[in-house]
Amino acid sequence: MRDLSVWRSRRLLRMAVGVFAASLLGGPVAALAAPVDPPPDPAGIATGDKSNAVDAGGNAFVVSEPTDKADPDYATKKKAFDEYQAQATKEPLAVKLADSVGHVRVATNAAWTLNTGYLVLFMQAGFALLTCGLVRRKNAAHLMMLNFAAYVFAFLAYYAVGYAFQFGAVAVNAAPANLGGTPTLNHFLIGSGQWGFLGGKGFFLTGPAYDAGSNVLTLFQVVFMETAGYIIVGAICERITFGAFILCELFVGALLYPMFGNWVWGGGWMSQLGASMNWGHGYVDFAGSTVVHAVGGFCAMALAIILGPRLGKYGKDGKPVAFPAHNIVFVVTGTFILLFGWMGFNPGSTLAATDLRIGVVAINTNLAAVAGSATAMVFWYLVFGKPDISMACNGMLAGLVAITAPCAFVGPTAAIAIGIVAGVIVCAGVLLNERILKIDDPCGAISVHGFCGWFGAVAVGIFADGTYGAGWNGVGAATYLGKAGQGVTGLLHGDSSQFLLQFGGATLCAVYAFTLTFVVFKVVNAIRPMRVSAEIELEGLDVPEFGMLAYPEEEGIPA
Amino acid sequence: MKLIKAIVRPNKVDEVKDAVGKLGLSGITVTEVRGHGKQKGHTAIYRGQEYTVSLLPKMEIEIVVPDAIADEAVKVITQAARTGEIGDGRVFVIPVHQSYRIRTGELERD
Repeated sequence: MRDLSVWRSRRLLRMAVGVFAASLLGGPVAALAAPVDPPPDPAGIATGDKSNAVDAGGNAFVVSEPTDKADPDYATKKKAFDEYQAQATKEPLAVKLADSVGHVRVATNAAWTLNTGYLVLFMQAGFALLTCGLVRRKNAAHLMMLNFAAYVFAFLAYYAVGYAFQFGAVAVNAAPANLGGTPTLNHFLIGSGQWGFLGGKGFFLTGPAYDAGSNVLTLFQVVFMETAGYIIVGAICERITFGAFILCELFVGALLYPMFGNWVWGGGWMSQLGASMNWGHGYVDFAGSTVVHAVGGFCAMALAIILGPRLGKYGKDGKPVAFPAHNIVFVVTGTFILLFGWMGFNPGSTLAATDLRIGVVAINTNLAAVAGSATAMVFWYLVFGKPDISMACNGMLAGLVAITAPCAFVGPTAAIAIGIVAGVIVCAGVLLNERILKIDDPCGAISVHGFCGWFGAVAVGIFADGTYGAGWNGVGAATYLGKAGQGVTGLLHGDSSQFLLQFGGATLCAVYAFTLTFVVFKVVNAIRPMRVSAEIELEGLDVPEFGMLAYPEEEGIPA
Repeated sequence: MKLIKAIVRPNKVDEVKDAVGKLGLSGITVTEVRGHGKQKGHTAIYRGQEYTVSLLPKMEIEIVVPDAIADEAVKVITQAARTGEIGDGRVFVIPVHQSYRIRTGELERD
């Protein structure tokens, strides 16, 4: 029986590798067929010039020539342009200097974005420790390998098609000018203009995606995708086969994450709803409460339902049974590493060190984290008499997940409020999943990332105070709500359309991630069961799946 | 000869070892064991679910002593391992028929 299950898992592994190989072969053909565009700059020696030189307020050094003569401000703009032209002719050295300033600005922002990306990469270690610590020791090696393989396979899938799907059309509506280098990623595979649904350039990081500026964005975004990729580990561990898990990771890295990411960050239709439908600033998610966390969390929820609870999790009377964490030291250490990594996740999402809002972002992120954790401790103390250490950690992550979307748009008081609400949501969500819905989520991933991710995006629509984000998604660059410089604004500060859009968009994200995952993996599970046999599950997955134990000396093997 | 088998609290091992050493006994074997007595463990709570920890960790100390000092040895072990609370453990005394030294094959006598 055990041998049969091992064989099954190998078949699934082969299937996963096969699907991936096929996608590898399919890509270059599409890339070759792409139309000719201005050349990319892989060496980085043409990226960043006077056009990138701006002052603290975002005013450009170069004044561009107005073309729209029907514009009521045409005369003013033409005058400014003529003055700039006259000065540039008089002071050619200043223009040369502006070229350097522009280049240094792009370089500063590239260094900032890359380094914050490395912090996000390090979150992988935090997640591995957190999830491994929260499970039983008989599955510890399996957990570490899932976290490791998540990085490996999802990365390859994102390289092959994910980046192109997400950012292949970013230049159409949302090119990050801070980094330069993306103007030729300008083709939607599905949709066009303000109604794009899937990007269509840069497959296999070839063509316009083989570019110094663009690859800064690639690095930063691939580690974000990895976050969504390893969120699912927390809900499906201790029972999924390795082969099925690799399929899940390829699915997240190639399609699930990039598609929603395109809608919100890649210039896709949700980001453009402000410009196309006059709904607030379009759907706003600063660093990914929904794009990253709710996508991962609701994907995890669908997978946990398909897999079913771990054996013995529910007694004959249907009551949940405690499966205590095997290493609380890992859990707390992992949580602190995640908090540290989040200092890259949120402040880094400005994609610019020259955007000094990063100070506010970093403080808001920490405030929500500590408020979430304190709330979870108090909640658990009031309900169960003792503050649970693993829930205190979940509470900190809940605050972090919830502040991820609003971190740039709110003030410190709102950050505390958001953290407190997230702390309550995560505790109630864990109890709801475990006791009422009977969804077995060993690490609380659904509650932390799904429920709190959803709330985070809604919180933008409630708490955004309008001090930041003027011109966000191309909305209100001059004035918004009748005020110059007014940025993204929430319900409490007078913009109900933003709130409604955030509420609808976050809910759409949850439905999208859950439904797409559920349909795809119901089919996969029907073809080949994704769950290990009962014998393997009871023995522990370490030896049946990988042939080795995490702690061999405890099995009597001399250390 | 007698085998004295004492099941004690893990944090009492050093005190027992010192007390036994004062009697001039040099051989001692200590094993990590789990079990329960009358009180049958205690309950813990994880993420809101109570569970019973019924087999608590203890240390089992084995020493072989000459018949003449067996009673004295039991007395010092009991004194050293006692806290007065539930869960202090047990001491068993078992007769030993023969004892051999592996290195030399020599049969040891009292």
